[in-house]
Amino acid sequence: MLEVKDLTIRYGNFTAVEGLSFSVEEGQWLMLVGPNGAGKSTVLSAIAQTTPYSGEIYFQGEPLRSMKSDLRASRIGILAQNHFVGYSFSVEEVIRLGRYSHTRGFLAEKRTDNEAAVAQALELTGMTGQRHQSVLTLSGGELQRTFLAQVLAQDPQLLLLDEPTNHLDLVYQKQVFSLIREWLQRPERAVISVVHDLSLAKAYGSHAILLDRGRTVSSGRLKEVMTAEHLNQVYRMDVAEWMKKLLSEWDRTASR
Amino acid sequence: MQRKDHLPTTAYIVMTALLGAALCLCVCIGSVNIPLADTLRVLRDVFSGTPQEEGLNASIILSVRLPRVLCVALSGAALSLAGAAMQGLLKNPLADGSTLGVSSGASLGAVISIAFGITFPSLPFAGTVVMAVLFAFLSLLLILSLAWKLDSSLSTNTIILIGVIFSMFVSSLMNIIITFSADRVQHITFWTMGSLQGSSYMNAGVLGAVLTICTSVLLSLAEELNAFAVGEENAAHIGVSVRRVKLTVLITVSVLIGVCVAIGGTISFVGLVTPHMVRMITGPNHRRLLPLSLFSGAIFLMLADLAARTLLSPRELPIGVVTSIVGAVVFIFIFYKTRKGR
Amino acid sequence: MKKAIPLILSALMLFTLCPCSLADTPAVTVRDMTGHEITLEEPASRIVALTASDCEILYALGAGDLLVGRGEYCDYPMEVFEVPSVQSGYDTNIEQILALHPQVLIMSTMAQTEEQVAQLEAAGVRVVVSDAQDIAGVYTAIEMIGTLTGKTEEAAAVIDSMKTAFAEICDDAFTKGQTIYFEVSPLEWGLWTAGKGTFMNEVAEMMGLKNCFDDVDGWAEISEEQVLERNPDYIMTITMYYGEGPTPEEEILGRAGWKNVTAVRNGAILNLQDNELSRPAPRLAEGARMLYDFVDGFVNAAAAA
Repeated sequence: MLEVKDLTIRYGNFTAVEGLSFSVEEGQWLMLVGPNGAGKSTVLSAIAQTTPYSGEIYFQGEPLRSMKSDLRASRIGILAQNHFVGYSFSVEEVIRLGRYSHTRGFLAEKRTDNEAAVAQALELTGMTGQRHQSVLTLSGGELQRTFLAQVLAQDPQLLLLDEPTNHLDLVYQKQVFSLIREWLQRPERAVISVVHDLSLAKAYGSHAILLDRGRTVSSGRLKEVMTAEHLNQVYRMDVAEWMKKLLSEWDRTASR
Repeated sequence: MQRKDHLPTTAYIVMTALLGAALCLCVCIGSVNIPLADTLRVLRDVFSGTPQEEGLNASIILSVRLPRVLCVALSGAALSLAGAAMQGLLKNPLADGSTLGVSSGASLGAVISIAFGITFPSLPFAGTVVMAVLFAFLSLLLILSLAWKLDSSLSTNTIILIGVIFSMFVSSLMNIIITFSADRVQHITFWTMGSLQGSSYMNAGVLGAVLTICTSVLLSLAEELNAFAVGEENAAHIGVSVRRVKLTVLITVSVLIGVCVAIGGTISFVGLVTPHMVRMITGPNHRRLLPLSLFSGAIFLMLADLAARTLLSPRELPIGVVTSIVGAVVFIFIFYKTRKGR
Repeated sequence: MKKAIPLILSALMLFTLCPCSLADTPAVTVRDMTGHEITLEEPASRIVALTASDCEILYALGAGDLLVGRGEYCDYPMEVFEVPSVQSGYDTNIEQILALHPQVLIMSTMAQTEEQVAQLEAAGVRVVVSDAQDIAGVYTAIEMIGTLTGKTEEAAAVIDSMKTAFAEICDDAFTKGQTIYFEVSPLEWGLWTAGKGTFMNEVAEMMGLKNCFDDVDGWAEISEEQVLERNPDYIMTITMYYGEGPTPEEEILGRAGWKNVTAVRNGAILNLQDNELSRPAPRLAEGARMLYDFVDGFVNAAAAA
């Protein structure tokens, strides 16, 4: 579905990503993991065409660079990490913007389809009750869910998620990941996400790329990538040991 | 079928009625007191095609007031539309031709065309208009790239700071030009004070044509402006062709501001006041904001001009004085609100 | 930019002085408009004058060669352009003035600050303020400058000839209360007129003409429709013509809605574009004469008809 070839991204003299190649197939959930500054989010913005890059990115065989932006957006949706809205748009208005790429020119769909997509996105993210509320009055978590609903309404084939549960508490964290897993069940869909929480990555991903300072350390099936050896090398500590320690701490306090 | 984020038809009817009422008010009231019955008779004669009596009242109403009121209404609508579009594009409610310094840039263009005698034969004021539009656009490019370099989030503080600095820069350039064209000092000085006196039907025609074109362009970009108002990055994500839309809006806004400045001089804060008030009623959705800004901008400027014409009769106040008094208050109010909001 | 407006208005008009010439000794003493007494050991030989009107007076007295510097807007007579120019008005630049080593600086009250005067006096330059607001004030200014430059006889002669010229046009019955509208800036830039307390108003009154806008003080922007309603018999414009487009007279004649104005119907429009009637200088008498002759032409034509 998506093929990235020799992707290199530079900001002045700084090289954020160098020589990255990978591909994503239908039904896969690719996790981009690695420490801060590894270039994970940068890869997402390159695929979304919001950052200049060298190399080529193909979607279903077509180079993304020359694809019209509305056509691209009808196929690839991205959920950003942070959101600042300037004006008091309603939740529903922001979500409806997700239909932008489907409502233009020959691609225009019927109004009913749009309304259905918006209603469904509201429902899935639990925002239906707040559909008329101003986005300026939302909490960080509600804002994140609003934009998740927007990208769901956008109905892409490939979903790019940058720290999708950044602002969400545990309940919604679980809900969102389950929701995306369910979304992925439908045919011709794939997900690429940047996740800091390695346990979440392990629990939900099918494939993974481990990045360190812009270079690929390992890529392929998740089990083969997220090995103790690889992780320890990249994070420069005993990752598994640390996780276990945290969990045992939790067990101890919980059982008391 | 009508989308629910469009303005309801009743809103258009109400606004048209208000606009008509303001127009009548401004034609009927002026520095010289003409009885309402006489005013109506003159207007009736015009619309029914009856030969005009060549009286004083007819001259005042048809040759002085009506063209001026039309120019004022069209300028108000144009400036207001330009302000609303810019505030959406830049996601900042304080962005306006006057706060950003675009109007100053446009008047610099006009002053250059006066000082160096740039004119097109047979079109006496086309030189000023073209130069004003061109300079409005160049100023916008300069201001925005400067703002982008300093602070890519285009925060309120950056916008205001750049606007102030750019206006100062332009005013010194103007002083230099004046120094080098001493023989036209008087001409230039009176021009920079700006006046809608002496507006002609031709001015109104030019304004009307420009406004019609720019309005249709901007209305067709209403959804894109909504996306920008939510956030430029988000706009790119949902598939808006960011570069194309930005360029189109900036050119359109430059044309609107440039033409207004060339015809009526710099009239500050109109583009700030009316979109803000409209937003309080309709919310930020540009499908409602843009058309309503057109109407209310026209009404606001007509009333401001009425005050300018009549308060000190027989003297006249510059219209910019009236709009600036209202505008400064609204500006501080918005500034306070946006600062409190973060 | 805004600062330049009063600067230009004043460059075009006003200025006062109140001198007293006393002694016949080489030492000269004058009292200027602010009441300061200035004594020089001998008549001034190096003068900087910042206002156009004071330059005109100096040349009228035959003392133009004493000028070592002039304000940037001084433009009459032509010889004045050979004198080095300095910034004036709100931009008055002390350094430029001092560099010319004048004994006396003649300036107006505009933008004149205590600090500036103190600086100039400290550098040995005597400041004389000239600020005539009416024709009597102009006589005083001429007298003062005459004393300052040791040209008292010339000053008396200039004043005499002005008085004679004004006496010839002083005739209340002549125009039988007809009205005149003075236009300072053309319609395109917003109409400005000269109201009460201006030289134009004073000259109009001399010949029995009523200024349409004598209810307005000084120079002011006024409404176009007011001009139409007040329907002046004569229009005098001081707009400059740059040699392109319609002349100021043609522009007024062609204005939409003005064809019923008496002055426009009769073509009674006069363009005086060299500041004859806006500057407190000896040329006021010439300007007044031009206006008189112009009006006289129409009065005679009407009488003959």
